[in-house]
Amino acid sequence: MNRTEYMAALRRALAVLPEEERASALRYYEEYFDDAGPENEQKVIADLGAPEQVAAQILADYREVAAVPQPGGAATQPQKRRWRGVSPWLLLVLVLLAIPVGIPLAGVLLGLIAAALGVLLSVVLVASVFIVIIPLCLLAAGVILCGFSFALWGAPASAVTTLGCGLALFALGILVTLLMVKLCTLFIPPLFRLLVAAIRWPFDRIRNRNHKTGGETE
Amino acid sequence: MSYPIGSSLLDGIVLAVVERESTYGYRITQDVQKVLEISESTLYPVLRRLQKDGCLTTYDEAFAGRNRRYYKITEHGRARLRQHRIDWQNYRSGIDAIFFGGESQ
Repeated sequence: MNRTEYMAALRRALAVLPEEERASALRYYEEYFDDAGPENEQKVIADLGAPEQVAAQILADYREVAAVPQPGGAATQPQKRRWRGVSPWLLLVLVLLAIPVGIPLAGVLLGLIAAALGVLLSVVLVASVFIVIIPLCLLAAGVILCGFSFALWGAPASAVTTLGCGLALFALGILVTLLMVKLCTLFIPPLFRLLVAAIRWPFDRIRNRNHKTGGETE
Repeated sequence: MSYPIGSSLLDGIVLAVVERESTYGYRITQDVQKVLEISESTLYPVLRRLQKDGCLTTYDEAFAGRNRRYYKITEHGRARLRQHRIDWQNYRSGIDAIFFGGESQ
């Protein structure tokens, strides 16, 4: 092996390094050959040892240095490992100690959830009452007035007026029904999507956090 | 008999060599090899690390029709070297006390 072959092998062995790091290392060893002089070329190759070994030393040190500038990632990980290593007895004691505080807290939390569900349900109920009742009332009023007008044929003018009002109310009822249907198709899907998103949000957060810590260990 | 050399001791030695005068990779290796058994490939990672820590800087100087990269100690490197000297004194006096029964201190 001559100098050119040696340097080519070193370059290959350092391929995983960023360009700047690789160039710096290659330059150092090029200069090393230069300063040793061409007469010592074989001696330098023998002294340096296999290019793969030289590269392994550089890579090992590079990883060490590269790991240092992220104190956040490096510092939180051992802490987490320590937490995972909590002894089961300590955990049991902690759980027992937490019961007097935990049960009322859990009760309050359950109560809050139930209250929120109750509010949501009543809002839905009121909304559906409005959506269904108003058009139904209008339609019913129209039908009743029309029917009532037949009993008034003794006074044709009042009968025609009542019939007209009834028909008008019936038409208004149909219009409002169509309006409500339109409003429902417009607003219910986005509302559902919002609800689903709100419920999914905490789960997504947990999953994302696991994802991130998983990435750090790689 | 030779003792294994930790990376911290190696840092101190390289800083001390470069502090004497700005010098280049091959010379540093030769100088250190006069007193320690280290492989030719040991020093590049040390130099690179010290450079990244801001203890050393490099500059290029023309020599024999090419550029030679010289290493120069920084103020931060000098401070680090002072600490290495203190640590070494403590370490040595401790070992001396065991080896020679407290003759040295």
